[in-house]
Amino acid sequence: MPDIFNSNRPSINPSLKESKSETSPSTEARGTLNRRLRQKVSSLGSFIPEYKNSGNSETSLKAQDGLLLKFPKEQERHKLHGHNHSPLASYSFYPDHVNFINQDPEEKVILFLRKHPITNWRWMLISFLMIIAPSLLPFFSFFMSLPESFQLILIIVWYLLTTAFVLEEFLSWFFNVNIITDERIIEVDFHNLIYREMTDANIDQIQDVTVEIGGSLRTFLHFGNVVIQTAAEVPKITFEAVPQPDRVARVLRELRIEEEREKLEGRVR
Amino acid sequence: MDIFSGFNSSVLFLIKIAVWAFLTIYLIFAGVVVRQVKLMTETLEVGFEKGIRFIALFHLIVAFSVFALALIIL
Repeated sequence: MPDIFNSNRPSINPSLKESKSETSPSTEARGTLNRRLRQKVSSLGSFIPEYKNSGNSETSLKAQDGLLLKFPKEQERHKLHGHNHSPLASYSFYPDHVNFINQDPEEKVILFLRKHPITNWRWMLISFLMIIAPSLLPFFSFFMSLPESFQLILIIVWYLLTTAFVLEEFLSWFFNVNIITDERIIEVDFHNLIYREMTDANIDQIQDVTVEIGGSLRTFLHFGNVVIQTAAEVPKITFEAVPQPDRVARVLRELRIEEEREKLEGRVR
Repeated sequence: MDIFSGFNSSVLFLIKIAVWAFLTIYLIFAGVVVRQVKLMTETLEVGFEKGIRFIALFHLIVAFSVFALALIIL
């Protein structure tokens, strides 16, 4: 019978722990992480044959799964999976015309994200009900007793209210974006029309990336939250309800590896 | 007996004042939307700025037109 109560038996490896995240380095494991990253960087060439021969920083490289480590040329950008020309897109890989305030001249936008369009279903349904509501007015004798000019103006006022509601909800969805560049991650939040909040963190400050996909709708449509723990002033940045959160996490991982490689090679900008 | 028949002028006057007050506030709101859209498009450029600004400006023009219409026909 095994002696399971033997206090002399070796303890469980402390570096092994359950985690939903890709990496969660503690102080003791950080050295391990750096060793692993160096090994990853040195072995990167085995995944990317073109990388061995490339010495030109402007040359576009193709990593596995279509992710690029260097900013691609325009023709190659259009062929990438996830590249989108629609200004209403929720997921765009290397978007064409995205610029933002405080962007560095050499900073390149890699991923542009918004909430999945399905998250707008609530206000769209309310808007639809508001649009068809005046058709029920003939059933209200109070309203039908008013002069026709008053009826007309009141209906127009109702549709103005509907327009204001739709406009505010659309602008809120359209301008609340998450951006990943080659240097940092940015979250732009317009809480209402008159309050803007921009949060950014450098890629090398990212400590932990967690992907959360919960619920039948999110699972079916494959969108979810990407929670990013950082060492910046804002400890947590959440990309809410973004499409393809696994790919977003992968892009972040690739960028972190790239940042580590730049640090090792002394090419930090 | 229809209790709502024959609104007296004071009730209609109150409704008129309420509508004018609402439309004045809405006009200010439409102006704020134009200004905020300008700020938003300066914060973030995605290639659709002209469309968004046109919608905001058109919304302001419509709000002003409705205000003028309410002043005339009420």
